Amino acid sequence: MVQYNFKKMTVVPSGKDFIDIILSRTQRQTPTVVHKGYAISRLRQFYMRKVKYTQQNFHEKLSTIIDEFPRLDDIHPFYGDLLHVLYNKDHYKLALGQINTARNLIGKISKDYVKLLKYGDSLYRCKCLKVAALGRMCTVIKRIGPSLAYLEQIRQHMARLPSIDPNTRTVLICGYPNVGKSSFINKITRADVDVQPYAFTTKSLFVGHTDYKYLRYQVIDTPGILDRPFEDRNIIEMCSITALAHLRAAVLFFLDISGSCGYSIAQQAALFHSIKSLFMNKPLIIVCNKTDLQPLEGISEEDKKLVTEMKAEAMKTVIGQGGEATNDEGVLLTMSTLTEEGVIAVKNAACERLLNQRVELKMKSKKINDCLNRFHVAMPKPRDNKERPPCIPQAVLEAKAKQAAEKEKRNTERDLENENGGAGVYSASLKKNYILANDEWKEDVMPEILDGHNIYDFVDPDILHRLEELEREEGHRQAEDSDDDFEMDGLELTPEEQKTLAEIRKKKSLLIQQHRIKKSTAESRPTVPRKFDKDRKFTTKRMGRQLSKLGLDPTKAIDRARSRSVSTRGRKRERSLDRDDTDGGDAMDVDTPNKKQRMLSRSRSRSRSRPPTEVVPGEGFKDSAQKAKALQKANKSNKMRNKNARRGEADRVIPTLKPKHLFSGKRSIGKTQRR
Amino acid sequence: MPQGDYIELHRKRYGYRPDHFERKRKKEARLVHKRSETAQKALGIKGKMFAKKRYAEKALMKKTLAMHEESSTRRKVDDDVHEGAVPAYLLDRDNTTRAKILNNTIKQKRKEKAGKWEVPLPKVRPVAEDEMFKILRSGKRKTKQWKRMVTKATFVGPGFTRKPPKYERFIRPSGLRFTKAHVTHPELKCTFNLEIIGVKKNPNGQMYTSLGVLTKGTIIEVNVSELGLVTPAGKVVWGKYAQVTNNPENDGCVNAVLLV
Repeated sequence: MVQYNFKKMTVVPSGKDFIDIILSRTQRQTPTVVHKGYAISRLRQFYMRKVKYTQQNFHEKLSTIIDEFPRLDDIHPFYGDLLHVLYNKDHYKLALGQINTARNLIGKISKDYVKLLKYGDSLYRCKCLKVAALGRMCTVIKRIGPSLAYLEQIRQHMARLPSIDPNTRTVLICGYPNVGKSSFINKITRADVDVQPYAFTTKSLFVGHTDYKYLRYQVIDTPGILDRPFEDRNIIEMCSITALAHLRAAVLFFLDISGSCGYSIAQQAALFHSIKSLFMNKPLIIVCNKTDLQPLEGISEEDKKLVTEMKAEAMKTVIGQGGEATNDEGVLLTMSTLTEEGVIAVKNAACERLLNQRVELKMKSKKINDCLNRFHVAMPKPRDNKERPPCIPQAVLEAKAKQAAEKEKRNTERDLENENGGAGVYSASLKKNYILANDEWKEDVMPEILDGHNIYDFVDPDILHRLEELEREEGHRQAEDSDDDFEMDGLELTPEEQKTLAEIRKKKSLLIQQHRIKKSTAESRPTVPRKFDKDRKFTTKRMGRQLSKLGLDPTKAIDRARSRSVSTRGRKRERSLDRDDTDGGDAMDVDTPNKKQRMLSRSRSRSRSRPPTEVVPGEGFKDSAQKAKALQKANKSNKMRNKNARRGEADRVIPTLKPKHLFSGKRSIGKTQRR
Repeated sequence: MPQGDYIELHRKRYGYRPDHFERKRKKEARLVHKRSETAQKALGIKGKMFAKKRYAEKALMKKTLAMHEESSTRRKVDDDVHEGAVPAYLLDRDNTTRAKILNNTIKQKRKEKAGKWEVPLPKVRPVAEDEMFKILRSGKRKTKQWKRMVTKATFVGPGFTRKPPKYERFIRPSGLRFTKAHVTHPELKCTFNLEIIGVKKNPNGQMYTSLGVLTKGTIIEVNVSELGLVTPAGKVVWGKYAQVTNNPENDGCVNAVLLV
């Protein structure tokens, strides 16, 4: 089945956006680097590709527009007419026609320019032709800009049309403006239509869904119709006329019998008769609304006559459908949407009659015969007069009764709250719902456990008392301390101590001064890494002095610093002790062995370099002796030649680059390289 | 209000959020800064295009401002006398500018004889022969080089048939043949797509004229019967000269100015 969903149409870009989209796509998706030195065929191909690609994209985009917009002749006549009413068919067709023409024009332009590009003989010309081609395509699009804008507007509007399925079970509500159509649909569906006390609140079709006998019914609220010639009707009224004309639905004609809508019953009856032809072959129900203001029995004789006339008309539809002429229930109904009296009855009647009609139609159709013989509805007949009620066990019945009773008397927390002083006063006890072995335990105090310890074990019962004591003691102390001054004024010090104190203070002030000087010039001073030590401050001597002043032994630190100094870099370890042995000899108590013995005993600490005269064996020689001999021979053979300044193996040679015999003469037989 | 317009419905029921207009105002106020930021950040072709757009907007704005300014400020009226304006005391006279009225065709003939044309493009770049022609090699071994192919747009009459290849020295490729030209009428300031009747003169030489080569500056004859021009004598003019103003082989079309 065709689904009418206009929400999926792609966005129609405006003329300028359209051009931007396509051109930027061409720029992104086709190669961009080209050089003058390329073969001309490659240049041509490069630019032809651009032109063709652009045309393809234009074609694709325009085609989607043409394909996605519905053709008014192909879709359901209800939608066809509705779109015509809303957007004007001619304008719509014209716009789509323009798009189609533009598509063809662009195709033609691309063909022409590709043809011209075949004759392009330089990069410049090819480029010029490409620019001209793309420019002309863009001009075409620019010219259909208004159509594109129009189509975009239509697209947006169409996406918001209510999704009405023209083939499903439908209940249609119509009548004069302000007679309570929208109130009714709000009552029976969740459509949430705006209801206001003035005419033409509803300006378009509204859809809601309702349920009857487990079937879903589509309820359509239409704008009010005025009784005037067809040509004078405006777009809003035409929407409802279209719906009435094309949807096979149950029609509810609303009649405001109180006349509070501003139109008398006579006027409404006139409208009914003028659009009577639209109700043909549809279940029609006349609904007298607003009975809360004016009951049906209370209207005047003339009006009553009009209503009965209308009822007679409506009865014809019943007869037309093969119903019984005498069965007049569900043709004229009264209700009040304000008091909700009769609303459900109206809905049920409408749905019932629609269902009957649809079933009848189905039964009449040829298709039904194919499946009718396949199903059978069993209708069991009672075989005797014995009652056979369902068997329910006594226990179940009792349980049910008990449950019902319980349900009634259950006391909720809220009830409790209200009984005990209301919100804010009553505090709910969380403990009463505990599930414990013994109910008495519920109110017991629970030990508070922290990190596996019972907190109560650590509670000192007379902690407050002790705190008080402590505070008192502290008070005493403070009173004592406030008497003597804590400042050190050197009165109780011995002269030695005084001296030390003075020294400390002097040093302190010195340090502070130094630091201040350093700090004051910190910004202007050039930053020199410390290792360069421009003031020669960081010497081992100074360090030694400082350390000894602090009472530390500086030797180790100095040694360490020296061992790291630049001058000793490269020396991997301390000099061996044996050299010192000669003069001091306090390190070891070993007698000095002579030099030869030492050489034997010690492993070699440094590898010796090879003497220049030694010959390394290799290069195919058996040993060094053989090689030496060969070298000697070679030198000897060269000797005389060198003496005579003759050419030898070691001299640089330039071979004949163009041997004359290969590059001159006629070539009767053979090839250039081979003769 | 259609059913799907949930935003509008919500607004109708609950109104705007309290700071809606404030936010809107602020957003609008910030927009210029935002755009300037984009303008400063955009690179490459995007940046160029954006700059161009901004420039156009600015120019338009300035123009509008100047226009408004103009209406409020006082300034001197320009005293330029329009051409053909006559003082009041001469208004009742019939003024004849010429003693003898020459008709258009005679004028054109005279001009032709004189060989002088007042044309919109008096000078054009000379086109060298090797630019105009491409040498085609022929013969079994492709050693003969007497054939030439015209690489410019050409006009070839409707009754033209090619000679047998042996005798055809100049080839005018059918892809580069044009039969129509976009002709602008300089006084009417509008352009028509007219049929070319023939090539009158190519400034590069007689040979090109006879070959019908259309280069910039070429004088062509176009069919103006669509325009409905009439001679003073009442005859319908159907052929008129026009000068080509573009390089048709580069643009893929022939643009021309009507010589009037």
